[in-house]
Amino acid sequence: MKRTSIAVIGIFALLVILVLLLPQSTKQQMQGALFQLISPILRTGASVGHELGGVRGGLKRLDELERENQQLKFENEQLRAANSLLKNLEAEVNRLNRALGFREQSPFKLLPARINSRDSATWWNSCTIACGSKDGIAPDMAVVTENGLVGKVTTVGKDVALVLLVSDESLRVSVSIEGTQEQGIVSGTRASSTYAPDLRIRFLSKTAKLQPGMKVLTAGAGGVFPSGLVVGTVKDFAAKELEGIATVTPAVDLAEIQDVFVIIRQK
Amino acid sequence: MIPFFFTLVFLIFGSFVFQFFLPPVLLLNGAAILFAPALYFYGCLSLPFPLMLALTFVTGLLNDLFMIPQVKSHADYTAGVSILVYLVPGLIMHGLKPLFLRHRWELHWLLAEIGAALTPFILVAQYAIISIERTNFFFNDVIVWRILGPGLISLLIAPCVFFILTPLSHVLGYRPGLPLAR
Repeated sequence: MKRTSIAVIGIFALLVILVLLLPQSTKQQMQGALFQLISPILRTGASVGHELGGVRGGLKRLDELERENQQLKFENEQLRAANSLLKNLEAEVNRLNRALGFREQSPFKLLPARINSRDSATWWNSCTIACGSKDGIAPDMAVVTENGLVGKVTTVGKDVALVLLVSDESLRVSVSIEGTQEQGIVSGTRASSTYAPDLRIRFLSKTAKLQPGMKVLTAGAGGVFPSGLVVGTVKDFAAKELEGIATVTPAVDLAEIQDVFVIIRQK
Repeated sequence: MIPFFFTLVFLIFGSFVFQFFLPPVLLLNGAAILFAPALYFYGCLSLPFPLMLALTFVTGLLNDLFMIPQVKSHADYTAGVSILVYLVPGLIMHGLKPLFLRHRWELHWLLAEIGAALTPFILVAQYAIISIERTNFFFNDVIVWRILGPGLISLLIAPCVFFILTPLSHVLGYRPGLPLAR
């Protein structure tokens, strides 16, 4: 082997060891800087995506209208299009009203944020939001919607932040089941064929009497998530050899969320 | 050679950014569309050994910083591990460089498909590492698709990437194994 090749391998090995030994906080800063660098692209891409989504939705509506027109010939096409548009506006207004109401009634100080992009990594579930350290966001802050828990902030850039979703296996949240003394740890799945997989509560007692539909709330242990946030509802429960395991349907439709709130602090 | 190396780095960076806007293929149980491995494998075939190692370092680090949320507490897949994950298939591809230097389109196509076949290796290695760290190893059809799906998609993507990068390297004045353009 050539002497230069040995030197190159040596330098490479040294650099790899150096990177692996870097503290997590430094890696978080590196990731934050990288996301900050690409945040204008993410922001532009997200707005283009929303525009395209609107166009696609519009085409779908037109298509549906055409079919309906064929079935119901006496109906006026223009009126239907206007109706459809108004319905969409109404849904949007209702959604924003709910969000505004939630923000005003919430016991926490909430910062609204729009989702920029969904990560398409194979083994991790995350997304980026269009808010960052300049808005007061810091790592480990909880992210919610009016329906419940979304995840937590892991990395922060100046005007971008990375959110680890509750559907990720590595995000573990201590939870309690409403109306019972049961407590457990909820986590997501490593790989799912959908954007919104079911969650799993472990470490429940084997004799727990859980019924489908019971609410799962954050227990507040660990200091990251305040207690009382809705995580989801119990889907089913199975007693295993050492513990009880419950499947939970998430309260938030992670496939559809566009706007979230970051809990900055208690009011 | 150096301009081509930096072009590849730029393209790999761009492919990671582009991936944020590519939804997973739900028909293949949520398999991701990966461009970066095809670009990286082309670099492994065309670049000399030191630059191939440099490309491995950059690709692995970018992969982790772009794809894996770096948490404050204990990370089960810390940034930098993918450098080693990329290194193994990268070295295999680098070993096939003599075939690449024959500059026959059918051999380039074959090498692109070998690269595509090696793409699942990266995902298997990542899956193995997080399974060991989380002490929870399980296998189901979704996981099989998540591993094999990107390889299947790469079978289509990789030849296109290779046939675009070859003229690009010539434009940038890098013609490995060929006489210099006058």
